[in-house]
Amino acid sequence: MNRLEALVKKRLCSRGTPPFELSAYVSIPAGFTMLFGPSGAGKSTLLDCVAGLSRPDEGHVRINDQVVFDAEARIDLPPSRRGIAYVFQRAALFPHLRVEENVAYGLSNLGREQREYRVSKILEAFHVSALGRRKPQEISGGEQQRVALARSLVTEPRTLLLDEPLSALDARIKRKILDDLLAWNEVRHIPILYVTHSHAETLALGERMIRLESGKVLAEGTPREILKGEEVLD
Amino acid sequence: MDWQAIFLTLRLAAVVSAILLLVGLPIAYWLAFSGARWKFLVEAVVAMPLVLPPTVLGFYILVTLGQQSPLGRVIKHWFGATLPFSFTGLVVASVLYSLPFAVQPFASGFSAIDSKLVHASWLLGASKLRTFVRVILPLAAPAVLTGVVLSFAHTLGEFGVVLMVGGNIPGLTRTVSISIYDSVQALDYATAGKNALALLIFSFVVLSVVYGFFRRPAGLVR
Repeated sequence: MNRLEALVKKRLCSRGTPPFELSAYVSIPAGFTMLFGPSGAGKSTLLDCVAGLSRPDEGHVRINDQVVFDAEARIDLPPSRRGIAYVFQRAALFPHLRVEENVAYGLSNLGREQREYRVSKILEAFHVSALGRRKPQEISGGEQQRVALARSLVTEPRTLLLDEPLSALDARIKRKILDDLLAWNEVRHIPILYVTHSHAETLALGERMIRLESGKVLAEGTPREILKGEEVLD
Repeated sequence: MDWQAIFLTLRLAAVVSAILLLVGLPIAYWLAFSGARWKFLVEAVVAMPLVLPPTVLGFYILVTLGQQSPLGRVIKHWFGATLPFSFTGLVVASVLYSLPFAVQPFASGFSAIDSKLVHASWLLGASKLRTFVRVILPLAAPAVLTGVVLSFAHTLGEFGVVLMVGGNIPGLTRTVSISIYDSVQALDYATAGKNALALLIFSFVVLSVVYGFFRRPAGLVR
């Protein structure tokens, strides 16, 4: 069964800001789970810990049946070996590579023919086939995020982390990209943890929702249950 | 014109730049990405040749590599020769002297790269080495080129360190700058002028080519 499970405790201290402690347990089944909370709640830190970009002080991270991090057992797989796809707020496409080279980047273990086939299929699924020969700086913000999603998903990850990847886009483009993503995951059924602070997005997308505030999980359930009675803000 | 000194200087500068490229890249990578608390100590050591008088640096290199020193004795035992007053000694001294001119531009170039690009590469399954070769190095190419050119140009004009460690042996350690100094001491201003002009023109051409390259649109550079 596809599931992401993480218990993360991490204390952050930096000059000029009060110390912050993230202490959260999340268990994410296949499908969309919205990670909702205000700025500074610890959402990105949680994602970084799950992905292996930041090391928790205590806890564990398990993807399906594999432990990828365990502080006690001293297991700490590097991000490259966790099988996690992570799309940031900014697309972070490699500016010196063409769109198709960006998408093929994570497929270096495959032969040329298979790589090209996989790249063309995923570009098609995200409606960016025509952009293959272009450089990232020659395409729009929405197209960049489509390519970033295609680049992450072409590797067939076991979990997808999305850190407000569509926050800079207008509602129409956002909806289209999310439709493509939903269609893609109908076949794969992997856990998708989607960070947002938009009520509307949470209500529209989420089958499940986790509310994180000041580093703690305050509530878990369906978006309608948790956001009941709250003003819908976007 | 002292062609022997000119060729020796160019050979020295080319060898030193190549070694600094190999040695400087890992040091710069560590300086740019390491979170070690004592990183500032390494930064200080690398930057030392910028503030130390060349004669002081040359003196310490001479003392450290000389036949009487423990290191000098080990080198003599293994290779049957000592480094002072040899071309190899000159290379070692020049590498140390020009180290900041390579490492600092390399490290600045690496630090300027958006960390999200590095993270994206790791998350796509790339090792740190592959990320360095496929993402960091191409994006920092102008900075790396700057470091190589600066170390080359800096080695061309060395005087104090070269004189201390290499002396003035024609064909072995006599570089253009020492040849110019010799000619002036001998009141041979005509030869000194020709050699100085050759160095001036060469430096100007090299720097013009580099700056001309950087003026091209970014897309072509990358």
